[in-house]
Amino acid sequence: MAGKKELTVVTYRGIFQEVEEALGMYSDGYRDQSALLELDGGDAKAMGLEDEKLILLETASGRVVVTAKVSEDPHPGIAFMPASPWSSQLLSGEVGEGGLMELKRFSATVTPTEGAVTSIEEIVERIRAA
Amino acid sequence: MAFCTGCSLLCDDIEVDFEGAKVKRTLNLCRKGRGHYDSLLVDRLAPAVDGSLVDIDEALSSAAEVLEGREKILLFGWGNSTLAAQKAGIELAKKLGSVIDDPSSYSQGLITEKVLKGELPTCTFDDVRNFADVSIFWGDDPSSSHPRHLSRFSYYPRGEKRQRGYEEDREAIVIDVRKSPTAQIAADGFFKISPGGDADFIEALMAALGGKIPKVEDKKRMLNLGTKLRKAKFGAIFTGLGLAHSLGGDLDAFFSLVGKLNELTRFSVIPTLGDYNTRGFNQTLFDEAGHVNSVSFKDGVDHGPEFGIAKYLDSCDAVMVVGSDPTAVLPAPLAKKLAGMPMVAVGTHRTLTTDGADVTVPIGVAGLEVGGTALRTDGVKVEFDAVVDSDYLPDVEVIERIMEAV
Ligand code: SF4
Repeated sequence: MAGKKELTVVTYRGIFQEVEEALGMYSDGYRDQSALLELDGGDAKAMGLEDEKLILLETASGRVVVTAKVSEDPHPGIAFMPASPWSSQLLSGEVGEGGLMELKRFSATVTPTEGAVTSIEEIVERIRAA
Repeated sequence: MAFCTGCSLLCDDIEVDFEGAKVKRTLNLCRKGRGHYDSLLVDRLAPAVDGSLVDIDEALSSAAEVLEGREKILLFGWGNSTLAAQKAGIELAKKLGSVIDDPSSYSQGLITEKVLKGELPTCTFDDVRNFADVSIFWGDDPSSSHPRHLSRFSYYPRGEKRQRGYEEDREAIVIDVRKSPTAQIAADGFFKISPGGDADFIEALMAALGGKIPKVEDKKRMLNLGTKLRKAKFGAIFTGLGLAHSLGGDLDAFFSLVGKLNELTRFSVIPTLGDYNTRGFNQTLFDEAGHVNSVSFKDGVDHGPEFGIAKYLDSCDAVMVVGSDPTAVLPAPLAKKLAGMPMVAVGTHRTLTTDGADVTVPIGVAGLEVGGTALRTDGVKVEFDAVVDSDYLPDVEVIERIMEAV
């Protein structure tokens, strides 16, 4: 049935994102390479999602709208997201038992949505809001 | 030949022709490096106070004013700074009685510190190229983050004892949760683990190395891996953020595995660090204070997680960020705390951090507009010159001038 899903999100760095970052974090290219979530094919199907559709990602810390990318390789229950200001919005800042602040992995609710990808300007505004 | 400071491999074989600051032709630069070179003309930081442009002298004196009279200053960043600027930064921390930290406090600092203490065997990339027959990439995808890692050192090249290169003489093993570009190169050498599954993988590999039956689904494959590693003549392990985070910062199991491997044969560890001179900062602070990050110079030398940015943002009263963009990287609640601080940002380009700073001070891009020295991620020191004309100040001069003014 189409709808929302709770997924484990793991962040990574992509080469195209690295290039776009060097050329400016406020660019459309950087947003296109960062504001995305790689979904397992089965998970995407269960949510009624296709490649390039928009999804809302939510955690207790924040919410962002990004573009869905459906992976060729299976990874059910797990989604991959470039590490960026978009993924940072979803992190809690909690420090784990071993003393390291969690930056790589979190649980998020993923829901198909419409509208527009969250802009970097919106993220900056949220960070600056008291 | 020019250098590239696009990542901590610090490639030294770059040929480049410029027209002004515009790149006309390059040889040997990877895609990321080309982006780094092209960035000379994009989104450069300007001297500013409260968002209004000022001249560099006013920016420097305003920077000193932000810091003066504060009790609990955090000096953060430093991975994209030359060794001279890092040294000056530590002197500034001493003068101000402040805390100094870098992103290694939330990434691979523990591994680097073990290497610097001599408690984790290491080697240089040149040793890897010449001798390594097994390269393990653990939670590490250098094909994306350090694009020439495999071609210059760890997989493809022929070396002194590896004359036949990767086809016959060298094996790549990737342990990761995602089939990354490096994992795709490793093909059959890719071990896919579940998120947070590194501790179980280490346990299974320890069992296989000890001749016991590992508690994993594919026992035969794990036993084969154990045999392969036991038989390696010169193994290298390259660690990424994925390993440290999967283990939640408790790396004892990994350190035990490296110890076990070295009882059987030889394995060295080289952390794949992000910014071009992260290793330099960690080494410089270690030489000065005995720790690679999270150091307070308030009363002599004090060290602990309470002086890492994740915790210290709760109690500090001003921040100076140098060559780093913590606002983009830190979890939202911490980025918000940072945004609420009086802040000076020193850097080459406009970032989310510089946009939130009270004072911004621009510097030249190391290796392109200004010269200096740095440590490659394997600890080898390199010296680079400027290759284009520019009016930007070197980072060391900016830090020294702020130090004179406070
Ligand atoms: S691998 Fe790193 S240092 Fe080498 S050219 Fe690419 S970005 Fe530059």
